[in-house]
Amino acid sequence: MTALETDVRRRDGAANANDNLIEVKDLHVHFHTTLGVVRALNGVSFNIPRGRVLGIVGESGCGKSITGLSIMQLVARPGKIEGGEVLFKESGEQPVDILKLGRHSDAMHHIRGNSIGMIFQEPMTSLNPLFTVGKQIEEAVLLHQTQNHEEARRRAIDILDKVGMPNPQRIADSYPHQLSGGMRQRAMIAMALSCTPTLLIADEPTTALDVTTEAQILELMRDLQKEIGTSIMFITHNMGVVAQMCDEVAVMYLGKVVERATVDDIFYDPKHPYTISLLRSIPRLGGERHGRLDAIKGSVPDPYSTVTGCPFHPRCPSFMPGLCDTLVPAETRIESENLHTVRCHLHPGSTILGKFGSSGGVATTAPETMTGFAAPSNASEPMVIPGSGGGTVNNSAEPNLTSGDVDDGAAPRVNRTS
Amino acid sequence: MLNYIIRRLLYMLVTLVFVAIISFMLLDLTPGSYLDTEIARLRQAGGNMSDGQIEALKIRYGVNDPFPLKFGKWIVGVLQGDFGQSFEFSVPVSSLIWGRLAFSLILATSSIIFAWLISIPLGVYSATHRYTIPDYIITVLQFVGVAIPEFLIALVLMVVSASVFHADVGGLFSPAYVDAAWSGAKFVDFLKHVWIPIIVIGASSTAWLTRVMRANLLDVLNAQYVQTARAKGLGEGLVIWKHAVRNALHPLIMAAGGILPALISGEVIASIVLNLPTTGPLFINALIKKDTYLAVAFLLLLSVMLVVGNLLADLALAWVDPRIRLE
Amino acid sequence: MATPNLAKPIGARPVAAKAAQADTSQISQGRLMVRRFMQSKLSVFGGIALVIMYLLALFAPFFGPYDVNEIDTNYQWSGPSTLTFAGGWPGICGVTQTLDQKNFAWVYTKDCSQSNPIQLFVHGSSYSVLGLFNSDLHLFGVGKPAKIYIWGADSQGRDIFGRVLMGARVSLSVGLVGVGFSTVLGSILGTASGYFGGIIDNLMQRVIELISSIPTLPLYATIAATLPHDISVTQRFFLITVVLSLVTWTGLARQVRGKVLSYRGADYTSAARLAGASHTRVIMNHMLPNAVSHIIVVAALAVPGAILGETALSFLGLGMLPPAVSWGVLLRDAQQVQVVTTYPWLMIPGAAVIAAVLCFNLLGDGLRDAVDPYG
Repeated sequence: MTALETDVRRRDGAANANDNLIEVKDLHVHFHTTLGVVRALNGVSFNIPRGRVLGIVGESGCGKSITGLSIMQLVARPGKIEGGEVLFKESGEQPVDILKLGRHSDAMHHIRGNSIGMIFQEPMTSLNPLFTVGKQIEEAVLLHQTQNHEEARRRAIDILDKVGMPNPQRIADSYPHQLSGGMRQRAMIAMALSCTPTLLIADEPTTALDVTTEAQILELMRDLQKEIGTSIMFITHNMGVVAQMCDEVAVMYLGKVVERATVDDIFYDPKHPYTISLLRSIPRLGGERHGRLDAIKGSVPDPYSTVTGCPFHPRCPSFMPGLCDTLVPAETRIESENLHTVRCHLHPGSTILGKFGSSGGVATTAPETMTGFAAPSNASEPMVIPGSGGGTVNNSAEPNLTSGDVDDGAAPRVNRTS
Repeated sequence: MLNYIIRRLLYMLVTLVFVAIISFMLLDLTPGSYLDTEIARLRQAGGNMSDGQIEALKIRYGVNDPFPLKFGKWIVGVLQGDFGQSFEFSVPVSSLIWGRLAFSLILATSSIIFAWLISIPLGVYSATHRYTIPDYIITVLQFVGVAIPEFLIALVLMVVSASVFHADVGGLFSPAYVDAAWSGAKFVDFLKHVWIPIIVIGASSTAWLTRVMRANLLDVLNAQYVQTARAKGLGEGLVIWKHAVRNALHPLIMAAGGILPALISGEVIASIVLNLPTTGPLFINALIKKDTYLAVAFLLLLSVMLVVGNLLADLALAWVDPRIRLE
Repeated sequence: MATPNLAKPIGARPVAAKAAQADTSQISQGRLMVRRFMQSKLSVFGGIALVIMYLLALFAPFFGPYDVNEIDTNYQWSGPSTLTFAGGWPGICGVTQTLDQKNFAWVYTKDCSQSNPIQLFVHGSSYSVLGLFNSDLHLFGVGKPAKIYIWGADSQGRDIFGRVLMGARVSLSVGLVGVGFSTVLGSILGTASGYFGGIIDNLMQRVIELISSIPTLPLYATIAATLPHDISVTQRFFLITVVLSLVTWTGLARQVRGKVLSYRGADYTSAARLAGASHTRVIMNHMLPNAVSHIIVVAALAVPGAILGETALSFLGLGMLPPAVSWGVLLRDAQQVQVVTTYPWLMIPGAAVIAAVLCFNLLGDGLRDAVDPYG
């Protein structure tokens, strides 16, 4: 995890090293249920640079949302933050460890809504049905920004206008049930941004929306991000959305960050077999017409069980018996690239053993395994989504890709790596 | 909204006409009338009635009229405020019922307010302190409260206050004030007595509403908008009372419509044990004695209480929930 | 859904074998319900307590020491017997009856120096066991002339304990039979209403609305008041259950209708219809099996209402009438506050009512949570 903290450089080069708004270190969250303990987060570490968009990707159940809620200290019972740090550095202020603040302390209330805003997945249920949209936005403004009701109302209408609401006055006096899903999500974004937070946590904000609306909302968020300069932690399982929205990406699997890189590196030079699998499961434009779409075999293991070694090993195409199922891979920096870390035994440095030799041995085996993986014929029977031939899948990914070359490039680059 | 209310009122009227027909039929068409009982009683006492006398009585009370005629006469009277003649007391029914109904109404309303005042805080506390000892205690009380019949609570309360406090708690007034005109002192005396029936009648409703409140609030607390409110930076108190509880009230108000029948039933039976000057004792007595007009009047007016109560509950629902209001 | 596929590769690797252990997805729906039900300790307790209550009621004459209608003027309003260990073996104190001349009431003085040992399996009054054979065996008793009244005696010296057990026969079966009637009625009408919709549904809804706009107890009382007086106990029992189910079926019909409505919109129903299945077949094969667990739950939760209804009616003198014994009939003796204050054990039948209703509520709650954990 120390690798993450060092030398954070931005893609565009105008880097202020170490200027992280949030540093999450070794975060553990457990759910104590009657059936056993679910280790939802198992040592999550990452950072969010100031003014950037970090995508958190992974399958359902890997702990993305819990990570977002932990930063807000909103993990509900039976979930409990067991350990770790969330350092929050607002400019000109001392860094605070959010987890050290009481859940219900004034300081925490001040951070929530004011410094960190949050948008949820379900626009249909995330607004209180009993209050007008305007009132709900004003509530946040009155809480953090001004005591003046008229001023609050003005700001509410102002922000509604900013998120592209037609006739913001009327919208402010509407109840949530009178708005469409897209409108509600705009209202949510307006609410989250009403106090100009320095960080916005967006938990799958477009998953429940249709493709056209999704594109609009993403564009809106992107524009607002540029305008306000807010950092965004963008939680999603949609790689297409990642390509469109994010500067950097953290890939999560079973409560751990398994790979962390810039968005370009993730798409052009993915290192972790899980990331590679995720990318291969995107339907692509210009891909094979009638080719079958790859899926990651199996599914996320039962949450009550503990998987020894690398959490991904039961599903990993490059599984190395005796190593992957016994030893937890450490986070390793990929030397040739900026800010690219990975947790995988395929990469030298991840295998930390007492003896030097075994680590080297692993490194030599790696290329062969990767070859085996990359050739689809060798991959052991991937589960296939029925009827998902070529570009026919109604997946929101394709139309939203800003850089068409991403997908065209992904496959060849994987091959090249092998 | 106005259309809705008017439509509801019309529905109500139709329903009540049917209630009137059914209750009238029930009491009138079944064998055995008050007159029969009365004649039997007189004969048993040794008095001998000639057939002519009986016939005269029958004509006087209209016993032999065909049902539609009898019902027609009666319903026309009802519309003019005349509920017919009580056989047993030989006075117009209307002179017997209004005072008692007023007390019944007061008791039912106070009980429902009592139930709400107690059950909302208890339910909220119980839901927000789930699996703590007070929550378990509240849950147990609530289970027992639902299971215990009103007349038993009434009995237990009376026995306890009689044997422990040596106080006679029956009735709504001390003997000195029963027939007195209303005055400040009488009102104070009334307040001293009225709390027992309120507790007795409201107890099971309180238990039930506490349970509904707890379950609803637990549901609502899982709702996304509660999380949104927290994410805004609202304190937990505001999150719960402003955002969660208000949403949890919705089913609670619906439940209030549901507990009304139980409340009125409870009032009827508790008033017999507690010897209250309300509808209960007279109504049951009228049923047993087959005093048709009196019984039907009570049944009809208790139904009016119920449907009006339900209408009010629906209006309250529209008042708290814009989704209904703006439909 | 994908778990079966996963199970093998994981299980094949020794280290991850643990992962498959807590797997809950391969258990049948029914087993899952049973498991969820068993997890709720209170509901299991309620169920067991009810089984015990029904057994006590079924074999009431065996558990009660005396015939329930046996009048004994020597023990009018005698209080519960006092337990003593004076003789080295549990026994009850002797009691002598004297007349208090001033208040004109019987006064009982205990004499615990003489112990009447409690005997087990004594012979006493004869009774019929399940209508199969006669027996005179009673679980316990004391040697004559002493008498054991563990819950005291009523105004005529009858044993309240035995009468509560006997009363359970009526009170507990009124609930079951009444709810049984209304379940059949409610299921049929609810299914018809929900499945066919249209006029039938509209009519049904109006009727239900009409019935529920009359306060429950006054309606019960009014109908019960029309029952003739000169009928046998069995007939009256039957009619009272009918009265109770006339009202309770509405709630059941509403629930079933709601369920059927939701099934009607389900794809598998359309699929069955498209495949040429008749209405009867769709209802019998696709809807009722789905609804049956819900019907059971709603029925279980309706039983307490019926028990309370019978108790209230009998208490008011409109339900079961003496010489029939039911909890409500027994509680009629406790109607006068003065009497109850002097002889508080007359309220014991009330405790039985509370216990039975409580257990049914616990059981019903557990069933509901087991069948529909999210509803």
